Amino acid sequence: MRRIEIAGAWLLGALWVLPLAYAAWAAVHPPEYATRFALLAPWTAANFAQAWEAAPFPRYFLNTFLLVTLILVAQFLLCTPAAYAFARMRFRGRDTLFALVLLQLMIMPDVLLVANYRSLARIGLVDTILGIALPYLGSAFGIFLLRQAFRQVPQELDDAARLEGSGLLARIWRVYVPLAWPTYVAYGLVSVSYHWNNFLWPLVITNSVSTRPLTVGLAVFASTDQGIDWSIITAATLMTSAPLLVAFLIFQRQFVQSFMRAGIR
Amino acid sequence: MHRRTLLAAAGLLAAPSILRAQAAASIGFYYPVAVGGPIPAIIDGYCQQFRAETGIEVKPVYAGNYSETLTKAQTAIRAGQGPSLAVLLAAEMHSLQDADVLASLDQLGPVDRGWIEGFYPAFLANSGAAGKLWSVPFQRSTAIMYYNKQAFAEAGLDPDRFPRTWAELAEAAAALTKRDGAGRVTRWGVKLASDVGNAQWTFGALANQAGHRLMNEAGTETYFRDPKAVEAMEFWHGLAARHGATPAGSTAWSTLSPDFLEGNAAIVQHTTGNLANVRSKAGFPFGVAGLPGKAEPRTVVGGGNLYFFKHASAAEREASLRFARFLTEPARAADWSIRTGYIATRPEAYDTPALRDYVAQVPAAGVAKDFLPVATGELSTFENQRVYKLLGDNIQAALTGAKTPAQAMADTQSEADRILKPFRA
Repeated sequence: MRRIEIAGAWLLGALWVLPLAYAAWAAVHPPEYATRFALLAPWTAANFAQAWEAAPFPRYFLNTFLLVTLILVAQFLLCTPAAYAFARMRFRGRDTLFALVLLQLMIMPDVLLVANYRSLARIGLVDTILGIALPYLGSAFGIFLLRQAFRQVPQELDDAARLEGSGLLARIWRVYVPLAWPTYVAYGLVSVSYHWNNFLWPLVITNSVSTRPLTVGLAVFASTDQGIDWSIITAATLMTSAPLLVAFLIFQRQFVQSFMRAGIR
Repeated sequence: MHRRTLLAAAGLLAAPSILRAQAAASIGFYYPVAVGGPIPAIIDGYCQQFRAETGIEVKPVYAGNYSETLTKAQTAIRAGQGPSLAVLLAAEMHSLQDADVLASLDQLGPVDRGWIEGFYPAFLANSGAAGKLWSVPFQRSTAIMYYNKQAFAEAGLDPDRFPRTWAELAEAAAALTKRDGAGRVTRWGVKLASDVGNAQWTFGALANQAGHRLMNEAGTETYFRDPKAVEAMEFWHGLAARHGATPAGSTAWSTLSPDFLEGNAAIVQHTTGNLANVRSKAGFPFGVAGLPGKAEPRTVVGGGNLYFFKHASAAEREASLRFARFLTEPARAADWSIRTGYIATRPEAYDTPALRDYVAQVPAAGVAKDFLPVATGELSTFENQRVYKLLGDNIQAALTGAKTPAQAMADTQSEADRILKPFRA
C-alpha cells in the first residue's frame, strides 16, 4: 500500500515537473534543439541574454517587487484588525457584516474591470502601482483565514495578557500574530504568487513602462505574427518566475508546514 | 518704441500657442504590441516626427496583443479615459460599432475623397458599413505561402513554381510529406492554422478560393451552408484524410512558424507580417508565393486598422485624423512596410524610391502586394469573437472527422443564425 503511495507521489511529481524540465531544456539550448532531444546538444546562455534585452526587465522586476510588497504589507495591516474584530469582539450585526465580507469571495475580479477602472480614474490613480494594488488591499480571503486562526487562539492567553495590562493592539501583536504566524506565511505565499502572476488587471490599468509588472512585460514574446520562439519564451519565463521558484525551494519545509497548520491546501 | 517692439515680439511668440489652443495638445493612441522589440521604437519615432511637424503630442500606449488591446481600450473608454485612436483588428468593425464607441471618418472633420480612394480596395473591405467608413487601413497583411525550396527539390518539384490550383497543391503537398520506416510523419507537406481565433482566417481564404464570400457587408448574415463553403471545407479535410499531407487534428498558429523553420513542414500558410522573421532565421532557401485557389490563386487580407473613438473632443478627433493621414503618407507607408514586413496600404507607396529599391532587392516583399487584387476581406460580423469560436470549433470537428464537412458547416450556420438574429432588422 505504502509503495503504491510512494509510486503515485513520484508519478504526480514527475508530471508536475515535466513542463518545468522542458522549459529548462529549451532555454539553455539553441533554438534548433527546442523540439528535438539530443543529449549532446550544445549549451548556450544566448536565449537568456536575448530575452533580457527584449524588454526593460530590470524595471519590470522592480515594479513587480514593489507591487507584491505593497499588497502584502497592506493586506496584513488591514486584515489583522478586521479578523480580530470578527473573531473576538462582540457587536451588533457582526455576523451579517462577516457574511458581506465573504460575499466578496464569490465575485470574480475580472467582472469589476470597468467599475474599478472608473473609480481609479476618478481619483487619478490610473497608471500607478498603487492603482494596480488598490482593488486587492482589502482581502476577504485574508480576513477569513486570519479570523479562523484567531478563533483557535485560547481565550485564556488573551485574558492573561489583559491581566498583565496589555492594551488591545499589544494583545494582537504579542498574542495573536505570533500564534497565527503559520497562517500569515501561508496566506503571504498565496497572495505573492497570485499578484506576481496577475495579468489582465495590470495590463488594463497601466500605460507605461514605469508601472507595468513582469507579466505584462512577458507579453512581448507572445507576438503572434512571428510565431513563438520556444527557446526565448522559456528563457524569459524561467527568468521571471525564478525568484518565486528559488524562494519556494529554500523555504519549502516552512511553506508546507504552514499549509498543513493553516489548513489551506 | 522699445515697448512696442517688445509687445510685437510677445504677440509673435504668443501666436503659435493661440493657434495650438484650438488644436488638441495631445491625443492618446493604443497600439497592439507589448513594450520591447523593434516595433515600439518605430512608432515612437513616428510620434516624435508628427510632434515636430504639427506640435501635437501623440502618446502611444503599447497594450499587448489585439484582443488585450481591445479589452483595454473598451474598459478605458467606458471609464471615460479612453484613447482618441487605436489600432485594432480590421475585422472587429461590426463588434465595435455594436459597442457604440466608434466615430465614423466623416465625424472627424473634412475627409478628402482622393485620400480614401488611394488605398488598396481590398484593405477597405472591412471598413465600410451603413454607407460610412469606420476605420483607416494601417498595418495590413495578406495570407501567403512560405515554402521550403530544398524540400521542393528533394521531392522532385520545381522550386520556382508554386502550385496555383487546389489539385496541384494537394499533389505537391502529398509528395512533400515524408514518413519514416514506422510510418510516422517526419515532415508534413502543408500546414494550415486550425486553432480557434485563426481557423476562420484560413477558412476565409479557402472559401474565397472556391469563389465564395462568407458574410454580407452589414455583418448580419453568414453563408456557411452554401455548397461552395462546404466544398472549401471538403478540400481542407481532404488534404488530411485523402492525401495525408496535413495533420488531421488541430494545428496551432503559433507552431506554424517554428515548424517551418525546423523543417517539420514544407509549406505553411502564414502572414506577410512574418517575412522578416523567416528571412532572418531560415537555414535553407525558401520561397514566398500567393495562395492557390480552386481554379486560380485567391487570398484573404488581415491585420489592423486605425479606429477613432467618439468620446474624443472635436479637437482631438481632428488631431487623430491628421495623425492617420500622417501615418499613411506614401513615404511613411513605405518606411513602415520595409521595417515591419506589413504591406504598404497604398499603391503610391510602391512608387517611392525606397520601397521600389527594397522590392527589387527582396522580391518576396513584392509578392503579397501582387495578390491584393484577388484578396477578399476577413470574416467580420456582429459578435465577431463568438462567431469565430463557433466556426473554429466546427472546423476542428470536421478535420478530426467528428463531423462531415457538410454537417460542420450546417451546424455553424444554424448557430450563427441564432447569434446574429438580434442584429437583423
